[in-house]
Amino acid sequence: MSRHEEIVLVVEDNQQIINFITYVLKQEGFSYLTSGTAQGALSAMVSQHIDLMLLDLGLPDFDGMEVIRQVREWSEMPIIVVSARDQDREKAAALDAGADDYLTKPFSATELMARIRVALRHLSQMAKNQPQPVSTVGELSMDWEKHIVTLKGNELHLTPLEYSLLSLLFKNIGKVLTTQNILREIYGVGYGTDTQALRTLMAGLRRKIEEVPAKPRYILTEIGVGYRLVDE
Amino acid sequence: MNQTIKIFRNLAVTFSFIVLATVLGVLFQFWDFQPANTVLVYVFFVMLTSRFTKGYCYGLLATVLSFLLFNWFFTEPYYSLKINDPMYIITIIIMTVTATVTSALTSKVKQAATEAQEKEAESNALYQMTNNLTDAESAEKIASIAVRTVCSTLSCTAAFICCDEKGAFQPTFIQQKENGQQIHRELTDPNAFKKRVDNPHTPYEIGSEFFNFPIYGRTQLLAVLCLPREIGENLNKSQTRLLHSMMESVSLALDRFHSLEEQTRSHEETIRERYRGNLLRAISHDLRTPLSGIMGTSEMLMDMTEHDDPRYAMAKDIYEDADWLHGLVENILNLTKFQDGCFALHKQPEAVEEVIGAALLVMEKRAGEREFNVNIPDNLLLVPMDARLIAQVFVNLLDNAVKHTPADAEITICAEEDTAHGLARFSVADRGSGIPEDALPNIFKMFYTAGRKESSTQKGVGLGLSICQSIVEAHGGTITAQNRAGGGAEFVFTLPMEADTNEQT
Repeated sequence: MSRHEEIVLVVEDNQQIINFITYVLKQEGFSYLTSGTAQGALSAMVSQHIDLMLLDLGLPDFDGMEVIRQVREWSEMPIIVVSARDQDREKAAALDAGADDYLTKPFSATELMARIRVALRHLSQMAKNQPQPVSTVGELSMDWEKHIVTLKGNELHLTPLEYSLLSLLFKNIGKVLTTQNILREIYGVGYGTDTQALRTLMAGLRRKIEEVPAKPRYILTEIGVGYRLVDE
Repeated sequence: MNQTIKIFRNLAVTFSFIVLATVLGVLFQFWDFQPANTVLVYVFFVMLTSRFTKGYCYGLLATVLSFLLFNWFFTEPYYSLKINDPMYIITIIIMTVTATVTSALTSKVKQAATEAQEKEAESNALYQMTNNLTDAESAEKIASIAVRTVCSTLSCTAAFICCDEKGAFQPTFIQQKENGQQIHRELTDPNAFKKRVDNPHTPYEIGSEFFNFPIYGRTQLLAVLCLPREIGENLNKSQTRLLHSMMESVSLALDRFHSLEEQTRSHEETIRERYRGNLLRAISHDLRTPLSGIMGTSEMLMDMTEHDDPRYAMAKDIYEDADWLHGLVENILNLTKFQDGCFALHKQPEAVEEVIGAALLVMEKRAGEREFNVNIPDNLLLVPMDARLIAQVFVNLLDNAVKHTPADAEITICAEEDTAHGLARFSVADRGSGIPEDALPNIFKMFYTAGRKESSTQKGVGLGLSICQSIVEAHGGTITAQNRAGGGAEFVFTLPMEADTNEQT
């Protein structure tokens, strides 16, 4: 069992779920703090260094969204949102407000740890601030310097828009990008909410990189929220 | 009896007037007045006769009597019907004609006045009744008002039988007695009565005393008005007309009452339904959080114990049951949201492959290595839909297919565009046991599980398919289930391709 230096803040008002999450964190060797309220979470962050936050959106005192907004004013720490299944809009809003990822209740220990690892890896990469020349997922790799994408070693011919979409996903590997977020990044601010263009672009890209577009291996669809490039 | 007295009275009036005229004539003769004065006296009294008797015939009778008496008493030769002076013949003719015309005119004026009075009374009665009916708040009140009005206009003892909203007769009916009191009587044989009403305006009896007028509303028989037989059979024209106007008013009032009743009932139904949905949703919502806790805790237990430890299996059972319950709770939440009626769909053009892909990802977690054949067009198919909900439809259909097919049987998902009908067609087909024929009509009903007695091994509450139906219909599509040739079941649903109809349920 590896030891981690990172400290995780668990903001959740249900004791059973806190028990579960902290148990998993302990098993994985993380240190953790818990808070049942948003207010408690914010004051914990002031008094202590926190590396990652697990945030339930339905808190008794005030909205989890507000916590994200306040934290993002001064910190880039990874925030993983925990929410119920039917809260797509809240999920997307939380991601747009700056959350890094989300977990849908009920989640398994494996899922939880996978998300935490991805978030922390991001953090460490950002800390290094040294982009790798080539990013690879499975047999798909992106050469940032040569602007080349290869699948099983063969160069793919992508349109400029497809390239910028894929590079956006590679830059946020493992992270969910909301449809709004992608539209803003690729087509620019003020493009609006026309998701049809993005769906068409994504379909074109998938036909080039996925064997079966309906069973994607690389770019997963998070229905009602956005897309995620798998992190293997 | 009444009639004879009337005739006697009229005859008495006629004779008195003519005798009076003759007496005056005799007096005039005694005083040596001109015979012309006597003629005028006769004409005057013929007119009076017409005024104070009913009908033309008494006036005519008075005329004839005047003619005879004048001839008898006042023309030479006296006391015989012979006339010597031809001048008198002319006098008599003129007198007779004048008397006839006068009497006819007087009768006519009198009749017109009587008719006008009757008309006024009729319209007054109708107005009163309509006025009362507007304020009536129950069918019984309406019946009571109708009976009272009909009784007072036709001066008889009428009865009134109401029907319920399905057109069946109420067990009791209202009858007014001579003293104005209204009583309830039992309808002895409603079925036989109903049969007779189908043949209206023929006399038939409730205790052989009534003549019946059925009152029909917009759609059905509303009530039956019963008049005493001798009245009902001998109605004159104006009475019939009045009766029909009254029946029309009653029919309108009853119709209004029935539709009001129906409205109230459906409103109550809606409120009850909403209350039920709210309750179900509140419960489900509160169940969800502890279930997540149970699942997490049982997962911890599984993690703490060795796989061959019996406690591991127990923890696993807890986990699986909690997982199943969680799925059920989510389904109930979804369904109540739709039934609430205030759930807004967020339709956007979505790629079919993405939605199916998302459903397959969910199924991968649930059904493990199970393979699904996916048969979708190579070209991108964008269909306006609420992606998460349609993904849920696929998950439910696939779940259903997995449950009812052996592990090695094929399950196929198809999607195609039907440009001719402007819709997209999706299907989930399996090679499993199929759907029992008698279950097909009920398969989308809530809590219907097609005779799955073995449900201890394959849990199902029968919500999945009704959720599918709710979702698809909210999109303006249709969903059908059928058995495939060669075995297995097939679920087909369609979604309209037009994006502009942003339907909301």
